[in-house]
Amino acid sequence: MPSRYFIVLLTILIPLSGFRPQPMSSAFPYAKMGLTDRQAAAHLLSRFTYGATPADIDAAIKMGLENWFNRQLQANAKDEVLGKRLTSFQTLNMSNEEAVEQFVRNGQLLRMAAEDGVISKDSLQKDTNKEAYRKKLQAYAASKGLKPQKELIKEFISHKILRSIYSENQLQEVMTEFWFNHFNVSFTKPQSIPFIPSYERDVIRPNALGSFNTLLLATAKSPAMLMYLDNFSSSGENSKMAARQNQPAKAKRPKGLNENYAREVMELHTLGVDGGYTQQDVTEAARVFTGWTIYPRGESAGAGMIQKALQQKGEANLRAAGFVIEKDFLFTPNRHDDGSKKVLGKTFPAGGGYQEGVELLSMLARHSSTAKFISRKLAIRFASDNPSPELVSKLSDTFLQTDGDISRMLRTLVSSQEFWSPESIRQKIKSPFELTVSALRVLEADVRQPHHLFEWMNRMGQKIYFYQAPTGFPDKGEYWINTGALLNRMNFGLALATGKIPGIKFDVLGLNRNHEPGSANEALEAYANLFLPERELMPTLERLTPLLNDPQLPEKVQAAAATAPAPPEQDDPLDASEGDMHSGITDNNDYRLSQVIGIILGSPEFQRR
Amino acid sequence: MISRRAFIKAGGLTLFGIGMGGVPGFVARAAYREKLGSKKILVCIFQRGAMDGLMAVSPFTDPHLKASRPDLFLSASGSTPGLTDLDGTFGLHHAFNSFVPLFKEGRLAIVHGMGSPNPTRSHFDAQDYMESGTPFNKGTASGWLNRAAKLTGHDASPFAAVSLTSSMPRSLYGDHPALAVQNLKDFAVQVKGDRAGAAMAAKSFEDLYDQASSDLLKEKGSESFEAMRMIGSLKWPTSVDAPYPASPLGMALKQIAVLIKSDVGLEIAFAESTGWDTHFNQGTLNGPFARNASDFSKSISAFWEDLKNYQDQVLVMTMTEFGRTVKQNGTRGTDHGRASCSFILGNHVKGGKVYGTVPSLAVENLEDGRDLPVTTDFRSVFNEVAAKHLQLKETTDLFPGWKGNSLGILPAR
Repeated sequence: MPSRYFIVLLTILIPLSGFRPQPMSSAFPYAKMGLTDRQAAAHLLSRFTYGATPADIDAAIKMGLENWFNRQLQANAKDEVLGKRLTSFQTLNMSNEEAVEQFVRNGQLLRMAAEDGVISKDSLQKDTNKEAYRKKLQAYAASKGLKPQKELIKEFISHKILRSIYSENQLQEVMTEFWFNHFNVSFTKPQSIPFIPSYERDVIRPNALGSFNTLLLATAKSPAMLMYLDNFSSSGENSKMAARQNQPAKAKRPKGLNENYAREVMELHTLGVDGGYTQQDVTEAARVFTGWTIYPRGESAGAGMIQKALQQKGEANLRAAGFVIEKDFLFTPNRHDDGSKKVLGKTFPAGGGYQEGVELLSMLARHSSTAKFISRKLAIRFASDNPSPELVSKLSDTFLQTDGDISRMLRTLVSSQEFWSPESIRQKIKSPFELTVSALRVLEADVRQPHHLFEWMNRMGQKIYFYQAPTGFPDKGEYWINTGALLNRMNFGLALATGKIPGIKFDVLGLNRNHEPGSANEALEAYANLFLPERELMPTLERLTPLLNDPQLPEKVQAAAATAPAPPEQDDPLDASEGDMHSGITDNNDYRLSQVIGIILGSPEFQRR
Repeated sequence: MISRRAFIKAGGLTLFGIGMGGVPGFVARAAYREKLGSKKILVCIFQRGAMDGLMAVSPFTDPHLKASRPDLFLSASGSTPGLTDLDGTFGLHHAFNSFVPLFKEGRLAIVHGMGSPNPTRSHFDAQDYMESGTPFNKGTASGWLNRAAKLTGHDASPFAAVSLTSSMPRSLYGDHPALAVQNLKDFAVQVKGDRAGAAMAAKSFEDLYDQASSDLLKEKGSESFEAMRMIGSLKWPTSVDAPYPASPLGMALKQIAVLIKSDVGLEIAFAESTGWDTHFNQGTLNGPFARNASDFSKSISAFWEDLKNYQDQVLVMTMTEFGRTVKQNGTRGTDHGRASCSFILGNHVKGGKVYGTVPSLAVENLEDGRDLPVTTDFRSVFNEVAAKHLQLKETTDLFPGWKGNSLGILPAR
């Protein structure tokens, strides 16, 4: 381990040379950029958490911003509050194997039921008996312990929303979202579905603040990625399998090289589209990754084959023959192209097996194009949509010097003047996910049915975990802000504040220390300060107060209600079954106050972070 | 105590109701464009699940088809013919009957043997490739319809590219502004059960966004309120005007027709039809396929009827990710195959003809010995239709890396 020697060497050298590593607590140059401690804290927390209350900001100042940041980088808060909220989630710690076995697609269920003779071939043609047919299928599923995949999805998404609201390790959650989106996989590909909860839990989150190289390798070997970008099916022309298939009797459906993962790992995960690779590099890299596949489970043919091989030859012999078995990952030499390859100028000699893939990923992870590409993405996420080249270059230097240490890059970011500059402060538009979570955080809401929020995020333009393309959601304001999405952001603020989203409770007056605002101005000011700490709010307040103080308001309200185009009632399909838990706002006065709050949450200022 | 709460009693905030406030800016821009002579609308309908092209437009004279599909084969003759003979070679499934007059009038063309050069038989992959328009590259960030919208070169109305779906389809991913909305009537500031509150909130939001210090929020805010007022004033057709089925596709097309008739600058519209994955009991004259086909064709013909004064502007093109096996499977359905067919409807279409190549279905002619081979690359058809109908000057970016000939479904420009 050269890095360990390096650290030992450093500790010896530092006292002699008189060089001391900068204490972490003096690194944030916000005072130089003209910011007060409170302004700085508000900015810091707006970027590295999903939203902060004035109390959160006070706490961070008390702790010291540097200490606060370091603690977030360590991400070792116990999260007891969150833990309690997640106890009822059955699938939280479910393995890939269990998820595959329990959660099936409708088509799968139908096929299994037909094979077991539970439904007859003709039953679908008889429209009349649909209900009985459905019940039969349900009973069959229950008897086999099978559940529809949409339940897995619902629970996973609910869990993610709760985690983002309540986790004390906010930065870890923010970075988990960042890397999931960077290494995107999607529920839109049905075969990937059972693998995605574990992908986030075991592959992304533990590595979100660690080493880029480790993260890259973990994604490459994850069943979610192997499935989503098809590498699981890729096999080489010089492989034993190809040799068998060339016998004409077996040439049923030719399998072969699939370049999808090899292309996207360079274009989207590491080098970037202009990172300096060619189509030839893609093809050669695809050859390197042949044989990287998912360890087959359950009753698939592949599972039978590997079990048979394990029984006949023994695991030790298989490993000696070049097989790699690690949980859900399988490297099978039978599908691997054994010839020599050349990627980005580097030759991988024949017979490299599994290890050459690891080497290639490591090479990609350390490439200068990767350093730039990742740095720019981080700068866009945390500084602004158009980060300065200087900032990107600082981050890129850290990436190269620290071998892709993500925490060190984030530290470089907050140590830069660019991060604290006017070009950065309040210049990011919240994604619908960020907007939703931040609203619940500032309301200190008790969220019992988080899945209702998923539908709202979709209406606002972000169907989380369903982005189909491997690019992930674009990270820029123009993408999120369009006419339909913007109206739904306003509607979300109103619906949330007025208690129209089921399963969410909050205490409007309690937020203001049980003090009831005496006037419109006071209400606006009090709640705007609560929800938008350290913002320049005068433009907002000045604009609204003359309207609020209009003596003829009561008559105008009546008139407006009579003449306004009737907005149709929204049909929330999820409402009917479980609409019993509202925010408890029954009093008309509180209702009007909650409307003021809705307007603050839907205001332009609240859309920014 | 009471006076302290007066603001709340009064309703807290202010009013909507200043009236139409003039013509929205984007409508004016769209009207201007109309003067310049370009006002064409491309409506794309994706049939998700892979439509069995061999049952929809059936090469019924081919003895191999009858042999491969003992339970699914339909004939164009006999006492209850399942097909309408189009040209002596192909027969249209009777559930598509409302297409027959459009075909005979020469406004409906069919392309058969169409599909992707990528042989994947995964729904997800094949749809992804067809919608991105790059059949061998998953990382393409944009969808082909988004690129088409961009290539029109028009200053975009918020309604230039609209998908009547709950979330944005892959076809419209991209930099060019596009809108996904399942129900246009949701296009409003609304509070359940509180119209007055919603109206007041709308006015407050309008004021706030007008003052927003972010240009993006200010500009899009203003457009949103223009759009909202406009949608609020639209006239909706009654069932007498056009007999749309009460299905998701019917509702989507009905709304697209409203946008077209309202001159809001629509150029590209997208809708979906689902349920084509007929592995089990596909049926013949009845059953899942026939039900879907009937909804599909009735929705489209109602749309066409609804647009009787606008037909010259509009072209409808349908697409599906792949076709289905020539042979029926063990559960009287069909499995994932390769080529299928596409319907193209418009007054300028050189219709009344089945384009493309469908060879004899003898095993040696089939792709991998089982499927109708792809003889026309979908990009050739999409490219021709979009380029000619939307009058695109430059199309090299529409399907990156693709070069090919068109079939001549539309007259040369």
